[in-house]
Amino acid sequence: MAIDRKHIAWVVAAVAVAAVPLSFFGPEGLRMLVIGLLMLAGPGTALVLYIRLGSAGTDDADGAGAHRSAAQSTLPLAISIAVASSLALSTIVATAMVFARMWSPPVAVLVLSLITLLLLALGAKRFPVSAAGAS
Amino acid sequence: MTPEPTSTAPAAPPSPAPPTPAPPSHAPHRHAEPKHGETQHGSGHHDAKHSDTKHGDTKHGGHAEIKHSGARRGGAEPPAVVRHGPRPPWKLVALAALAATALALGIWSLLSVDTARIGGTGLVEAVPPAFFVAIFLSLTGFVATLNLRRHTPVLLATQVLVLVVILHAADPIVHGLPRLTASYRHLGVADYIASSGQLDTSLDAYFNWPGFFSFLGLLSGATGVGDLMGIATWAPLGMNLLLLAPLLALARRLTSHPRQAWAGVWLFYLASWVGQDYLAPQAYAFLLLVTLVACLLSAFSGWAWPTGSNRFTRFLAHHVTKLDPTVPHQGMSSPPPVDTAILLVISAGLLVAMTASHQLTPFAAIPILTVFLLSGRLRMPSLPILAVVLSSGWLVFVASDFFDGHLTQLFGSFGDVEGHTLGVVTQRVGGSDAHVLVVYTRLAEVALVWLLAALGAFMAHRRRTAWLTAALGALAPLTLIPGQPYGGELLLRLYLFSLPFAACLAVLTLLPDRPGGPGWRRAFALLVMGSVLASATVVSRYGNDSMEKFTPDEISLVNQLYATAPDGSVLIEVVHDTPWKFQKYADYDYRALLLAEPRPGAGPLSCDPADRIAQQSGAYLIVTTSQKRAADLLETTPPGDIDRFIATCGSSPGWSKLFENAGGVVFHIQGAGNGN
Repeated sequence: MAIDRKHIAWVVAAVAVAAVPLSFFGPEGLRMLVIGLLMLAGPGTALVLYIRLGSAGTDDADGAGAHRSAAQSTLPLAISIAVASSLALSTIVATAMVFARMWSPPVAVLVLSLITLLLLALGAKRFPVSAAGAS
Repeated sequence: MTPEPTSTAPAAPPSPAPPTPAPPSHAPHRHAEPKHGETQHGSGHHDAKHSDTKHGDTKHGGHAEIKHSGARRGGAEPPAVVRHGPRPPWKLVALAALAATALALGIWSLLSVDTARIGGTGLVEAVPPAFFVAIFLSLTGFVATLNLRRHTPVLLATQVLVLVVILHAADPIVHGLPRLTASYRHLGVADYIASSGQLDTSLDAYFNWPGFFSFLGLLSGATGVGDLMGIATWAPLGMNLLLLAPLLALARRLTSHPRQAWAGVWLFYLASWVGQDYLAPQAYAFLLLVTLVACLLSAFSGWAWPTGSNRFTRFLAHHVTKLDPTVPHQGMSSPPPVDTAILLVISAGLLVAMTASHQLTPFAAIPILTVFLLSGRLRMPSLPILAVVLSSGWLVFVASDFFDGHLTQLFGSFGDVEGHTLGVVTQRVGGSDAHVLVVYTRLAEVALVWLLAALGAFMAHRRRTAWLTAALGALAPLTLIPGQPYGGELLLRLYLFSLPFAACLAVLTLLPDRPGGPGWRRAFALLVMGSVLASATVVSRYGNDSMEKFTPDEISLVNQLYATAPDGSVLIEVVHDTPWKFQKYADYDYRALLLAEPRPGAGPLSCDPADRIAQQSGAYLIVTTSQKRAADLLETTPPGDIDRFIATCGSSPGWSKLFENAGGVVFHIQGAGNGN
């Protein structure tokens, strides 16, 4: 699980970093893939990595299978929150820019990337890799 | 694969429950009190019915599964440890192969559809028999996977995904273009925002709830992809795939067993015929709503107040526990305070994004959150209050242009329950015989789902297993009925809002409250239920396909029109069913001679309305094959009247044909003032 979290965090960070220059230039397909991924799941995944959804045990299992079962039972919720909160944040940023008459898609991407990286950094600080295995 | 989790249902009391003191606030979950049989775990007690000889032996690496039986037997019994043997891999391989076969056959059959054969009852007339074989294989695969001795979520997910592709991706696979004129309008609003960064609330209501369109505009602007037609085309599949995780997370909080949850999700997709999954704010807001509810029921379940503090709270707690003794045990453990605060902020954020994107969905969230608050499933009273403040505040202050101009529409029919239900349904039962058949299929499917849900709730209540939250969630959206008819679409939307809950209730008619598969008899009944719903959905979902689908020729015709008509021109469609406005949303004055709706006894269409519109500065008039099909299907005009209109008016003085292809024809009507 620790390795999974670490790998996911690195992938999300890579997407967040790559999205910034791609919001200015690059092949259309690549820009759609990377920026689309960021808007679809970037900040939300970083947020889910920062919190513990099933940390104190779950309702699903007892005994030896509890840990794996806990992770499994909270996986749909974790994915849901990762996607929905990313979409919501992207929507709120875009809508705020429209209402503020400060429309600038590259700046919006920069904001989303910074939020993502900040959450990833906080998550890494909160749950260092060595301890994350216990999560 | 892990062992199937055990029941969340606690042991039911052997006799009618006395006024049970509810769990204290902030510690409402099962972990706050001793679990059923907690001290007995690992005692090695074996159930005679599930002995080693039946389920294999741990010598072969089998897993132990704790079986709770008290909920059904009316008393706390020591849990039985059920040993499972190793899963026969050939079964998994066979079921995976079945899923792959169903997927391949489904896609092949959809690709081989002859679109010219799509008639009044829609796609069902044109799909080859192999399509139904593919659906049946998919349903069989899911039911067989559900009936495996061991719970296999990955394979269940695969089976559901195959069903989603076969049943909900038919439009993009068959037509390769977005369906519904609204898809094209939505692209146009997003294009307007992406290119201007502005809102024009005078254009139409969309700009008063610009959240989703701003999101699309941001995607378009940041990626440089000006044409989001591909995303709109595949949106039905994408939206349904995105819904899978939230639906499952929600179903896990509404049911007692993972298999019931999976079956509930499966049933949702089988009965989801309303087609509100295209590139639209309502689809997006529905995704947020399901996630919000799943999140709240998971992390914030419990009473918002001390249940013994006064008569009202005691009354609520007593009756909730009496109706469904599992309610206090259905949430997850309370997260740490920091995570609780973050989840609260996330929930508020989802509400904000939902409110900014869609008119109706946040209003549907209000009753849902309220009933959960009153039934001990939501311990944050601030969230329903926030939902009220946000949706009302947005309507009055942010969407003030719309609010001021539509007061009569918003509140004029308040309280007219009959008009908003029977009146709307009666209005929709019209058009050609084929269309009426489609409408009746929809009504029958809704009735079947609601009947199954009611039966499931009744049976679950008798069995003392989880049902109350799902029942309340299914009923809560119906409180919106007295408000207004929402352009005649309210009932459709309410069905969608209630479906995730109703589906979880419906499966309780067949799935038992114990770990393990349902057994072959129940599985067969589930297969029959799924087959009936899937067959109905092919008709109900794709019944309007002949007028909701568009062809490349029609798009080409619209593009030619845009290339020819100067900005500011008046563009007229004969029937409101044209794939346009995906660009130049604000550059033209778009008009329609007729709405696409039944007009019983309507007379022939004359040239006068178009001539009057064009009287001053001229106009461009477009007639497409989709308009003709809509007029015939809904009986908006007498049969064949649009062709007569083209022949008669097209040869009138001042009318000149500009373009014509297989998708339709464009005329220019000269105005009195100039030759524009």
